[in-house]
Amino acid sequence: MASSKPFHVVTPLRVSPHLSKLAGTKVYLKLENSQPTGSFKIRGIGNFCKVMAEKGSKEFVSASAGNAGLATAYCAKLLEIPATIYVPQSTPAFTVERMKDEGATVCFGQTLDECKNKAQEMVKKNSDWTFVPPFGDPLISEGHKTMVAEMKEQMESKPGVIVLSVGGGGMLCGVIQGLREAGWDDVPIIAMETWGAHSFHASLKQGELVTLPKITSIATTLGAATVAEEALKLAQEHCVISQVVTDPEAVAGIPRFLDAEKILVEPACGASLAVIYSGLIKTLQKECKLPRDLESMVIIVCGGNNITLEELDRLKDELCMNHRMKEYVECKVALAKWNHASNSGTFTASLQKSLGACGH
Amino acid sequence: MASSKPFHVVTPLRVSSHLSKLAGTKVYLKLENTQPTCSFKIRGIGNFCKSWAEKRCQQFVCASAGNAGLAAAYSAKQLGIPAIIFVPQSTPAITMERMEDEGATVCMQQTLEECQNIAKEMAKRCSNLTYVPPFDDPLIWEGHKTMVTEMKEQMESTPGAIILSVGGGGMLCGVIQGLREVGWDKVPIIAMETCGAHSLNASLEEKKLVTLPKITSIATTLGAATVAEEALKLAQEHPVISQVVNDSDAVAAVGRFLDEERMLVEPACGASLAAIYCELTKTLQKDGKLPNELESIVIIVCGGNNITMEELDCLKEQLSSDNGDLVECELAMATWNNPCNIFAASLQKSMGACAH
Repeated sequence: MASSKPFHVVTPLRVSPHLSKLAGTKVYLKLENSQPTGSFKIRGIGNFCKVMAEKGSKEFVSASAGNAGLATAYCAKLLEIPATIYVPQSTPAFTVERMKDEGATVCFGQTLDECKNKAQEMVKKNSDWTFVPPFGDPLISEGHKTMVAEMKEQMESKPGVIVLSVGGGGMLCGVIQGLREAGWDDVPIIAMETWGAHSFHASLKQGELVTLPKITSIATTLGAATVAEEALKLAQEHCVISQVVTDPEAVAGIPRFLDAEKILVEPACGASLAVIYSGLIKTLQKECKLPRDLESMVIIVCGGNNITLEELDRLKDELCMNHRMKEYVECKVALAKWNHASNSGTFTASLQKSLGACGH
Repeated sequence: MASSKPFHVVTPLRVSSHLSKLAGTKVYLKLENTQPTCSFKIRGIGNFCKSWAEKRCQQFVCASAGNAGLAAAYSAKQLGIPAIIFVPQSTPAITMERMEDEGATVCMQQTLEECQNIAKEMAKRCSNLTYVPPFDDPLIWEGHKTMVTEMKEQMESTPGAIILSVGGGGMLCGVIQGLREVGWDKVPIIAMETCGAHSLNASLEEKKLVTLPKITSIATTLGAATVAEEALKLAQEHPVISQVVNDSDAVAAVGRFLDEERMLVEPACGASLAAIYCELTKTLQKDGKLPNELESIVIIVCGGNNITMEELDCLKEQLSSDNGDLVECELAMATWNNPCNIFAASLQKSMGACAH
């Protein structure tokens, strides 16, 4: 582990009464969204960058569509080492700007794979430059496992189950290692993915590493076509229940969670929340894959930067989730306005007529 | 201070790159919205309830439209002690539900004042019943000051200024006491309120406690008609710069913060964020009230439960009733892009009516 103060912070662990009611057991949230750079990535990447800096690295190069790149840029700035992040063209402009705010140079590639190749080529040419992997390195898992060490301090008893999202499997590796160190080896993990980014699920089923031909899920930050080898290996040794949800399921939970817990998360994180919102816990209990009397549950709120209200709306449109819901919401808003005493303007009168049109 | 593990947690302190760019200096966020019960209240009220439980109190009673009541309910549950929370009619259903989820009995009255009178009466009649004040008690300030001791651990150097919101002044008291304890006596505090809930500002102007005749701000959780006497006293001893923003600025800040930091806060909290979004700190620097070279700024993100997306939309609607037509047209434009929306078609027709 890198010496001196880490770049990540100890994150709060708090009970969600809203999710606890739905799950029928105490649900804790590990608020990784409150990390500097908005996601858990700073744990592993912070550790990696600090160790590499101690070994004399002169520049960091990364390939990322978001959170890993931002964590790298942030670490590089704190270590006063220049950083170049290769991002695919699909990366939201606001995420690119955040990376630049941290002082990183941002270069574009067509796809994430192309970005990775360019980044690794750059590093080959310069011996004291370091490629910062988004996952799949022991130093990264070592950083991530601190999440569990914190949970051990924060909880009075062992959790009944831990729920987390899987992209490349970096967090999964760290959490399993952390559970072993904390003496919590028998705590099952529900590893969530979305269809179209389910590389881990596919690999577990085959019993060997599988590469998805294409990422088709909108949860782009889960979009690793192949998980880390270590992730598959550890998942075969630990009690890991792999579950996959649809994109609409991952997105549907986001506004509910926002209203209940006042936190806006990416669909990648929404996949973990779907374990409750889609009733998966109860199904797993019925199928005897989870005990009926669950001591408690911890959901790792991984966070993530690639989301705004506008982006959420765009995703819902893309998934055709907006029709009925939007109509309903608009009717409600119009009704609320109609009741508002300081109602004015001819437009409102027209709205009232329109209300009639949608049968409210 | 109450013995054993507190009910609050150590909250993250992180830099906001967006706000730092706007302010021209490093802006840290003290994320009190990550507390159990989503606001800083658990610090002070947790400490108060624990201390009284040690004195063998058997029941808690509280009067609150939101966060203080929820913190009291949560603390009571942790202590295995029953709690009754009197809430005014204006309390959002979601907040009442949260209180009930913590096992508290929730009783509704017309106004907050009625709630306070009934709650205090009840505590007077029953000797083993303790009234939990929302802000005006030394045990509450003692709990709140832990925010500053954490900041001292988390920061490498003294902050240039601290920005916080003022309702009854409980947080202000705790922060000033905390600053004194850690040797940060000279750190100025920018105390933010909204117009219509500006009881501290009015009191500071008059140099004595002033009671606002009515709370007219939509930031209801800042709605203490009179601040704590101690808050006025400490604000006159410590470098406190009292600032007032209007409701629109507080609400606009909530929207921006949600997109930039992905956290939804109440307008009460938006008032603090508006200090940067509305460039108040730059104005204060120009006026010589803050140094031009500010080491850093810490904003206390107080959090709060009385907010949802629907509530935010309603507040924006309420505040733009003068610009009613414009907002409705914007809404119509947004819905027009959804092809399957029958309602949008009607709205589109109506849009023609307001000539856009």
